[in-house]
Amino acid sequence: MNLVRACPRRAQHQWKLRELWRINGLRGTHRQRERVEDRRWPGWEVVVGIEVHAQIKSRKKLFSGEWERSEARTTHTNDAPNTSVSCFDAALPGTLPTLNPKCVELAVRTALALNADVQRRSAFDRKHYFYPDLPSGYQITQRYAPLARGGYLRLSRDDFTVRITQLQLEQDTAKSTVHAGRRVSLIDLNRAGSGLMEIVSEPDMRSPEEAGDYVRTLQTLLRAVGSSDGSMELGSLRCDVNVSVNRYGQPPGTRCEIKNLNSIKFVMTAIASEVFRHIELLESGRTVTQETRGFDENKAETFKLRSKEDSPDYRYMPDPNLPPLLLSQEYIEHVRSSMPELPSETRVRLLSMGLSERDADVLMTIDAGREVGFDGEIGKGAIAMTQDLLGQLASRKETFSDNPVSVEHMGELIDMVQSGKVTGEFIGVSQYLWCPGTSGKTLLRHMISHRSLDYPSKLAKELGLIALSQDDSSLVKEWCLEAIKELPQQAEAVRKGNLPVLNRLVGKVMKLGRGRANAETVRTLLLELLREES
Amino acid sequence: MRPKPVAHFRRLPRNSRKTSSSVLHTPSDSSDVEALNAGINALTSVSSERRSRGHGQLQGLSIAVKDNICTSSLPTTCSSAMLHQYQSPFNATVVRLLRDAGAHIVGKTNCDEFGMGSLNLNSIHGAVVNPFQAQTTSNVPPTQTERRSAGGSSGGSAASVAAGICDAALGTDTGGSVRLPASYCGVVGLKPSYGIISRWGVVSFADSLDCVGILSKSVSTVKRVFDAVAVYDPRDPTAATPDLREKTRPLNSSFLPVTASTHQPRSLEGLRIGVPLEYFPSELDPSLVNVLRAVLRRLGEAGATLTSVTVPATQYTLSAYYVIASAEASSNLARFDSVRYGLRTATLPGATISKSSDVFAYSRSAGLGKEVQKRILLGTYALTADAFDNYFLQAQRIRLHVRRDFDRVFRHPCVLLAEPHPPRDGVDVLLHPSAIRTAPLLDRGEHGSRGGDKAVPGLSEYLQDIMTVPASLAGLPALSVPVGKGADGWPVGVSVVGQWGCDDLVMCVGKAIEELC
Repeated sequence: MNLVRACPRRAQHQWKLRELWRINGLRGTHRQRERVEDRRWPGWEVVVGIEVHAQIKSRKKLFSGEWERSEARTTHTNDAPNTSVSCFDAALPGTLPTLNPKCVELAVRTALALNADVQRRSAFDRKHYFYPDLPSGYQITQRYAPLARGGYLRLSRDDFTVRITQLQLEQDTAKSTVHAGRRVSLIDLNRAGSGLMEIVSEPDMRSPEEAGDYVRTLQTLLRAVGSSDGSMELGSLRCDVNVSVNRYGQPPGTRCEIKNLNSIKFVMTAIASEVFRHIELLESGRTVTQETRGFDENKAETFKLRSKEDSPDYRYMPDPNLPPLLLSQEYIEHVRSSMPELPSETRVRLLSMGLSERDADVLMTIDAGREVGFDGEIGKGAIAMTQDLLGQLASRKETFSDNPVSVEHMGELIDMVQSGKVTGEFIGVSQYLWCPGTSGKTLLRHMISHRSLDYPSKLAKELGLIALSQDDSSLVKEWCLEAIKELPQQAEAVRKGNLPVLNRLVGKVMKLGRGRANAETVRTLLLELLREES
Repeated sequence: MRPKPVAHFRRLPRNSRKTSSSVLHTPSDSSDVEALNAGINALTSVSSERRSRGHGQLQGLSIAVKDNICTSSLPTTCSSAMLHQYQSPFNATVVRLLRDAGAHIVGKTNCDEFGMGSLNLNSIHGAVVNPFQAQTTSNVPPTQTERRSAGGSSGGSAASVAAGICDAALGTDTGGSVRLPASYCGVVGLKPSYGIISRWGVVSFADSLDCVGILSKSVSTVKRVFDAVAVYDPRDPTAATPDLREKTRPLNSSFLPVTASTHQPRSLEGLRIGVPLEYFPSELDPSLVNVLRAVLRRLGEAGATLTSVTVPATQYTLSAYYVIASAEASSNLARFDSVRYGLRTATLPGATISKSSDVFAYSRSAGLGKEVQKRILLGTYALTADAFDNYFLQAQRIRLHVRRDFDRVFRHPCVLLAEPHPPRDGVDVLLHPSAIRTAPLLDRGEHGSRGGDKAVPGLSEYLQDIMTVPASLAGLPALSVPVGKGADGWPVGVSVVGQWGCDDLVMCVGKAIEELC
C-alpha cells in the first residue's frame, strides 16, 4: 500500500500559495464557559491554552534517513553526548532530509486519538533563527499546513473537553548546557532532529487545575497509542502555556506565554503565579503587555524573557527540499484500524468479557505503558495474553473454571513474551510488522490442549520456540547471506536504494530461521551486508 | 586531447599544502596536470588515486568535480574561506556513481563561492582564466595573451575541460552556472531537468533550482556521463521517481529514431524548433545573432521546421530568480555558523565571547565573501514578515507563470502535471544564444576584483542571467553547444531547451547541431 506518498507533480515547486499567506493568529474563538467562581481570585476569569511538544517514540529521527547507520536513531537519556548524530543532524553541507514514515504514522495515530481531522495534504516550513543548538539555522516544522486540524480531548474530571487547534510535525533542537565553571556552552547533538509533535490547544481551560488535568490526560493518551513516552522528567514532553485574565463579562485579557515547563506541578504553579501577577497589574491600573516569560522553579514565579516587539522574525519559508506530504484516505483508515485500543475502550471491553470493575482496573494498572514499543509496534501485554486465554478456552467450548493454566504458569508466560524470550511471527512483508508473542500464543494453546503441568520455559525449549540470543549472530548472518543469494534481484534493488524491497529479504531470513531471529537485527545486518558489497 | 593521469592529491595553486597521503606515484603525470592548470587556475585540488580502478560504462574517462560537490578523499571548499579546511565524511551520490562506473576523479574544480557568480571571480582560490586563447595562440607569451573570464559559477569545470585536463567535468547550475561557462570556454554544458541527477552531497545554494550539470568537449561524452549518473536516489527527496522517469521515455523516443540515424545526410525532418523572441535583449552582442542565424539556416536545410515563439513571462524572470535564489541561499547558508565546522575567527575587540550571536557574526563576516553576504542579506530581507508577500510570494507566482508559458510552447506534455494539455502545433525544443556576449575580459589585478571592476561591471553580471534563468525556474533541461566564434574570435554557444524530462531529446538536437555547425 502506498502509505506515504511524495507528491508526484512538480513536487518541490507546487506550494499552494494560499498556504503561505500570513495567518491571523492560530487561536480560534473564545469559548464561553459557565461562571465558576475561584476563591483564589474572585471576580476574575482565567483563560489558558497550552502548546505541548511531545517527542515521537520512533527508533529513528524525523528526517535523518534510513541509510544512516545507528547514528540516526532517537536517543535515550543515558547516551553519551554527541554519539547519535548523523551527517544530516549536524547540518553538514550536502545533506538532505528524508521523512521517516514511522513518525508520520505515530502522529496520525495521535491525531485520530484526539478526534482531529487528519489533513490529506500537509507541508513543511522552515523556521529560521540563529542559536548554537540549532545546527542548520532553521527548524523544519508544519506551521502553515499542519498534519491535522481540529479535534478535542475529553478530560477525566468534570466531563468537559478541550478543543485541539492543530497537530504538527517538527524537529527537536540539540541540547545546550552552560558549563559555569569553564564559562563555555556545551552542545549535545543527540537530540537534534528527533521527531516532535506539537499539539496546540484552544484557550479552553479556566484554571491551573484544568491545565494540569489536560496535560495529564494527554500524557496518558500519548502513552496508550504509543506515540510518545510523554515523560516530562526526561524531557520527552514539554509545555508552553498561554495565560490571560479578565473580569467576568469582559473580553479576554492580553496573554503571556510561559515557555518550557517540564512538570505538571510547574505548569499549575506557573499559571497561578502568572494569574496573580496579571491581577496585580490590572488592579493597580496598569496594563499587561504581551510577552514571553520563563519560570523560576525555586521562586515559583515567572520572569520576562522578551516582549512582543523583541520577538524574532522567524522568516518562515516553505522547505524547498521536502515535497508536500500527501496521505490517502486508505492510509489514514489503515492507521485507524491498526491503532492500539485507547484505555477507555479497553476497560469497556474487559467489563463486557465478564470481569469485575475491580479486576479490570487491576489488569489495566499492571498493563499500563507496556503495550506499545518503538515505532508503534504493538506488543503483547498481560491483557492481550489473558484475552488469548479466554479466547482459546471459548473456542474449545470450555469455561474459565476448566482453565488448566495456573496463575504461576500464566505469569511466567507473560514474562517470557514481554522479555522477548519467545519469538514472534513475521506477519506481513509490505508493512514489515513484527508481532512479538505469537509463539507465546502457540505455547498457550499447547498448555491448554495438552493440559500440561510443565513450566512454559521448559515447554518452549521442547517445542523449539526459544528466541536466538546475541551469541547466535553468526547463524543469523549465514541466513542473511543465503537470502541475498537466493533473491539476487531483490538484493540488487535494495543496493540501488529501493528500500521497501528489503522487507522481502527480511521475510526470507525469517523463514530460513523459522522466526527465531529478531527482525530489526536482521534488517540492520542485511543493510550492512549489502552496503559492504556495493 | 587525451588527459594525462594524475597521481597525487594536493591543493592548487595557492594552497599547496600536502594532505596526509600525498605521495607522488608518477610525477611526470601530475606535473602535466599542473602545467595545464598553471595558467588557468581551474583546479583547487588534485586526486592522488590511481586511475581506472573500476570497470563500467565510464571506464577510462577522467572527470573533474566542482568544489561544491562532496568528496570524502578531497577537500570540498565551495571556494569559500568558511570551508577552506573542510573535508566531507561522505561522497556525493554523483561521485559514487561516477566511481562505480569506472571513471577516474581527477580533482576538484574552482568555482564562484557557493556557486554565486557568473564570472568565477568570487573565489578564495582566485579567478579562473579562460584557457581558450592559450590553445590557439600558444606561441604568444602568457603575459601578452588576453586574459578573459571562464564564466561562472562552474568556471573551473568548463576551463578544465577546455584545457584538456579531463574528459568531462561536473558542475552545478542554479541559474546558468554550467551553460554560461560552457559558452565562454567553447565546450558543451548540460543542465539536466530538475530532479534527474541526485543532489545528495551537493552543497545547497538554492535547493529548488540547483542541478548537477555535465561539461565536456562533445555531446556524446556528456550523454555517456549523463546516462551513468541520472539515476533515482532515495536520499534526494526532490529526485524524480522511477515512475516519472519512465513516463518521459516516450517523449524522448518520439524523435530519437530520426536523430540517431546514421544515414548521411542527416535529416531533421519533423523536428520543430522554436526561437523565443524574448531572448534577444538590446544588450545581446549582434555578432552572436549572426552565429545563431547561421545555425538556424543549417538546421532548416537539414529539414527542421523553424518557428518563432513567445515566452512572455521571461521579462520578469530575472527579478523572480534573484528573490527565490537569494531567499533559499539565506536559509541554506545559515548552517555556516562556525559552531560544528568551518572557519572560526578570533573574536574581535568589543565582541563578547560568551555571546553566541557575536561568534556567529564575526565568523560569518570573515568567512563569507562580499557577493555571498550581499545575497544572504537580500534573501533575509525577502523572507521577513513585511517583505514576504511582495517579494517571495510574488516571485513564486512569476515562477508559475514561466512554467505555464513553457508548457504552452512545447508539444510534449509536462509529465509533472496531472492533466497536461500540450499544444498540437508546439515545438520540440527552443533554441537561443547561451549568453549575451563572448567571454568578458578579466580585470588586470584579478585578486582584487571581487565585487566588479571596469571590464565587468557588477550589474551586467546579473543581466547576463536573463538567457539562462528561465529554464532554471521551470526546471527544464538546457544544453549549451559551441557553434562558432563571435566578432572577437571567442567562442559562442547556443542553448537547446526542452520540456521537463526531455534531456535525451535535447542532447540529440545538440548532437545534430554539433555535427552540422
